[in-house]
Amino acid sequence: MADLSLLDIPRLLGYQFFQYAIIGGIIAALACAWVGLFLILRKEAMIGGGIAHTAFGGIALGLFLGIEPLLTTLLISILAVLGIAYMRKKGLAQSDSAIAVMYALGFALGLIIISLAGGFNVELFSYLFGSVLTIDTTDLIIVSILGIFTILFLGIFYKELLSITFDEESSRLMGIPVKPLSVSFNILVAITIVLSIKVIGIILVVALLVLPGLTALQLRLSFKGTTIAAIGFGILSITIGIMLSAIYNVATSGIIVFTAAGLFAWTAVYRRLE
Amino acid sequence: MASTKVETIMDVKNLDVTRSNSLVIKNASFKIDKGDYVGIVGPNGGGKTTLLLALLGILPKKAGSIKLFGNDIKSFSNWEKLAYVSQTALNFDVHFPLTVRELVGLGRVNRGIIGRKLRRSDWDAVDESLGFMGIKNIADKRIGELSGGQKQRVFVAKALVRNPELIFLDEPVTGVDAVTQEMFFKKLSDLKDKRGITILIVSHDLTAVFCRMSKVMCVNREVNVSEITEDFEPNDVLRDAYGEHFHFVFHRHTCEGVFNNG
Repeated sequence: MADLSLLDIPRLLGYQFFQYAIIGGIIAALACAWVGLFLILRKEAMIGGGIAHTAFGGIALGLFLGIEPLLTTLLISILAVLGIAYMRKKGLAQSDSAIAVMYALGFALGLIIISLAGGFNVELFSYLFGSVLTIDTTDLIIVSILGIFTILFLGIFYKELLSITFDEESSRLMGIPVKPLSVSFNILVAITIVLSIKVIGIILVVALLVLPGLTALQLRLSFKGTTIAAIGFGILSITIGIMLSAIYNVATSGIIVFTAAGLFAWTAVYRRLE
Repeated sequence: MASTKVETIMDVKNLDVTRSNSLVIKNASFKIDKGDYVGIVGPNGGGKTTLLLALLGILPKKAGSIKLFGNDIKSFSNWEKLAYVSQTALNFDVHFPLTVRELVGLGRVNRGIIGRKLRRSDWDAVDESLGFMGIKNIADKRIGELSGGQKQRVFVAKALVRNPELIFLDEPVTGVDAVTQEMFFKKLSDLKDKRGITILIVSHDLTAVFCRMSKVMCVNREVNVSEITEDFEPNDVLRDAYGEHFHFVFHRHTCEGVFNNG
């Protein structure tokens, strides 16, 4: 695809692979940006990074057993979330240390499986860094189902999540089930990461979780406005990333992260100049 | 004193509360009536917050009984009748993206409406509450941009939006100047007078307590509630809480000047 230019985008949009990439990308961006804003405000951004790395074990397991890797990854990621919650609840470890433990365990699992299998490096690479331009119908169906689930959950429990994010203590007093909601939210983080793996990969997904929210926070809007802006920045980063990478044949996830970081830098500078 | 029928909404008998195995509240017995405006005073570490948390059912009691609106606290379920503004409520993250209206809207969230959107009627209640607290003009401001006095009003509006019958305020007064403070106490008087809401407020402002409020609760392990009447001598009750050498200079006429009821 070397000799394309921006003018070829309308033509690209006619191809199924490109349509799949854009649709999958938008779903992932929407879920990541929305979940990510809550993660930032809950000061739990590293849970996103931690679970994403744990997912490595799940991918290796799926490839080894010949099962759809996204499903094994979903399982391993949710186990990791519950593991972190358990360690916190029992006082075995603080949040950040619990994440570190799960992070290492997930990676170690992946490493052992890879050595047992004698290596499947090429396929693994696409999960590590995503390959949105090669999304197939099965991938798109999985991404859509998980995406719709995430969006529905956030849509339904929006005000409760906002309330426990802002003030956990007073939310408990008002009768909001804080613990179950917090764990459900972290499971939702795992789901969001899994659905984003094909789009951006496990190493860089944390950027898609955190950067759109951070960018939107610079604008100092209401909560509703910040949410909409974060989703907008996420979708913008992904679509620009997909288009530029298709045209210039460079790694999609790299461009996505640079676009998202560029938007963040731009709003930050704009804020300072104002 | 008008001789209307008094309704006791809180009846505490022989209450003991412990925290990390030490007795913080000892053998407290008192009654709070509907429409009372109670100032809770006492030295730091005397157990004011602990007492409030026990009355709210957040801290378990060691011994004794608490009746809320005629029901034992164990079987009490009408928690929406109570609202609480904590000591730490005003110390939120100033970068949190939330407008005043959005924050007050969160006050409508409770056990009964988990998972349903706030309705028109909820937002009407929010506007009404903002109006009552005189902060409609800052409804779209971000909470991080508010002054200390505005924050107080916003958090009371958030408590008020649930239509409670009893509000607990745990000293939400840090970083507020004296004039703003007095206007805030006056606003709370309005809550009591116009809406019949019962108020319990922890305060270090003794003058405000004795000028403005109907009862004073001294808390220093022991709890002593007295009605504030015309011939009331503050030092009689304050010495129990603060010690023999405490002397509070108080002249009733200072109320007239400082406490403008207009």
